[in-house]
Amino acid sequence: MNFELERFVEAMLDRSPPYILEHLQLVLIPLGIATAIAFPVGVLLTRPRFRRYTGRVMSIFNAGQTIPPLAVIAVFFPFLGLGYWPAVIALTIYALLPIARNTLAGLAAVPREVKDAARGMGMTEWQILSQVELPLSLPVVMSGIKTSAVLTAGTAALAALVGGKGMGAVIFAGINFFRMELILAGTIYIGIIAVLLDRVLTFVEEKMTPSYMK
Amino acid sequence: MIQLELVKKVFPNTTVPAVDEVTFSINKGNICVFVGPSGCGKTTILRMINRLVEPTSGNIYVDGENILDVDSDELRRRIGYVIQQIGLLPHRTIEQNVGLVPRLLKWSEAKIKQRVMELLEIVGLDPVETAWKYPYQLSGGQMQRAGVARALAADPPIMLMDEPFGAVDPIVRGRLQDEFLRLQQEVKKTICFVTHDINEALKMGDYIVVMNMGKLVQKGTPMEVLSNPANKFVKDMIGDDRGVKLLDLTRAESLMTAVTEGSAAARDCSCFLDAIQPVKMALEVMMKNDSDVVGICRGKEVVGTLSWTEIKKHIHKISGDQE
Ligand SMILES: Nc1ncnc2c1ncn2[C@@H]1O[C@H](COP(=O)(O)OP(=O)(O)OP(=O)(O)O)[C@@H](O)[C@H]1O
Ligand SMILES: [Mg+2]
Repeated sequence: MNFELERFVEAMLDRSPPYILEHLQLVLIPLGIATAIAFPVGVLLTRPRFRRYTGRVMSIFNAGQTIPPLAVIAVFFPFLGLGYWPAVIALTIYALLPIARNTLAGLAAVPREVKDAARGMGMTEWQILSQVELPLSLPVVMSGIKTSAVLTAGTAALAALVGGKGMGAVIFAGINFFRMELILAGTIYIGIIAVLLDRVLTFVEEKMTPSYMK
Repeated sequence: MIQLELVKKVFPNTTVPAVDEVTFSINKGNICVFVGPSGCGKTTILRMINRLVEPTSGNIYVDGENILDVDSDELRRRIGYVIQQIGLLPHRTIEQNVGLVPRLLKWSEAKIKQRVMELLEIVGLDPVETAWKYPYQLSGGQMQRAGVARALAADPPIMLMDEPFGAVDPIVRGRLQDEFLRLQQEVKKTICFVTHDINEALKMGDYIVVMNMGKLVQKGTPMEVLSNPANKFVKDMIGDDRGVKLLDLTRAESLMTAVTEGSAAARDCSCFLDAIQPVKMALEVMMKNDSDVVGICRGKEVVGTLSWTEIKKHIHKISGDQE
């Protein structure tokens, strides 16, 4: 495989940019859905009534991350076929674990005596959750979302393999036509997207972290 | 009023009861102090009264009402609780922490602000300096006072105080105790107070409940416990200076020999003490003035004398009871 600077510049400036938004969507939509599932489930699993399911549910999330997204797509292929939405589903399943795990960890780290005092003052279970436990654990939850975001940014490249669009299309075109410049350009953009997401979410995380925890 | 009837708590997966068939009652406006070694079940008793722990058996009544018939959140808002580990909310300011229960009770913001400032003053924290700080910006002793202020906030008729002055040095503790007793004279709350310091128990308690290994060993006034320890455990806890501790609780007037104003005996006294002062103070006054006798006054009038010999006789009498 050879490398021509001119083609590389063209790949960076013309071929890849149209896929940036597509790729970002491919990260943010699964991330949003995964958060909408894993966060409430994580909260429920710390409530006395559901605590006994924690082991089972977490091993499902664990499997979601251990099984490669492509295998997930293969499993769902008979029902969903190929394309954008199967890719979104596979990426969502992949992103669940860090968010759920950090939700559990964040809630578990709320000091016992703080919850105890809140209860002793006559706060209801809902008030304790919404006014004490969640504010105190949100920074940890955010860092789980960040981990998932960075993970998904990379993995989303595979979506192109099943017709799911994204920056992966550039990379796989490069592989198919033996064009190093395309592979490199696609990889660089995915890297930039991952770093950018990391920066933005780190900023949000810091905004959420109250001064006493820093 | 608080009543416990054969209250027992066996925690899950344990065999020895943490609290074993304890029965007592505390009258309205009194301070009852629970004292005993670590792990004897003091905290567990408090937490059963506000339903943070459910008893295994037995009944608890607050103001004549079985606490199982009251909504637990509502019950807790009526009962001030100073928890042993303080437990201020780390993400809330001191103002928000102290105003927590009033806010739950939906007081007006203006009233809450005013009440918080008043309370910070009462517990000896500078309201202007402290109100906007976060708990991590306070010292251990200051946090503990904020915890006491939080428990007092909604002016609950009942208070559960779990070692409320444990995290401060002896001098500040003494001052907080004095301030609290003075406050109690005005507000007359029904208080369950936990400590493992027998001196604090004797000073603060209208009643004392001595606990050991989950069992109630003795209950009574400080005077009763001091003069008649139920067994060796109580005696050991009081310590070897039982006589002196008693002199601290005995008023001078109860040992004095009555004299009439202007009599020879009264005129012979070179130093004087108020009748309601403890006998221990009489000793102090005698030592300071190098005298063997002190005149006991009510107001300006000398009503009796108390001599070193009389005090010695008294100590011998109690020590005699002891053996
Ligand atoms: N939630 C719990 N589960 C199991 N055992 C408990 C629990 N809480 C307390 N215990 C046990 O019950 C006993 C009494 O505990 P408690 O906290 O009432 O002691 P305490 O008198 O307050 O001691 P300290 O002076 O150290 O605070 C101890 O042996 C303790 O280990
Ligand atoms: Mg305790």
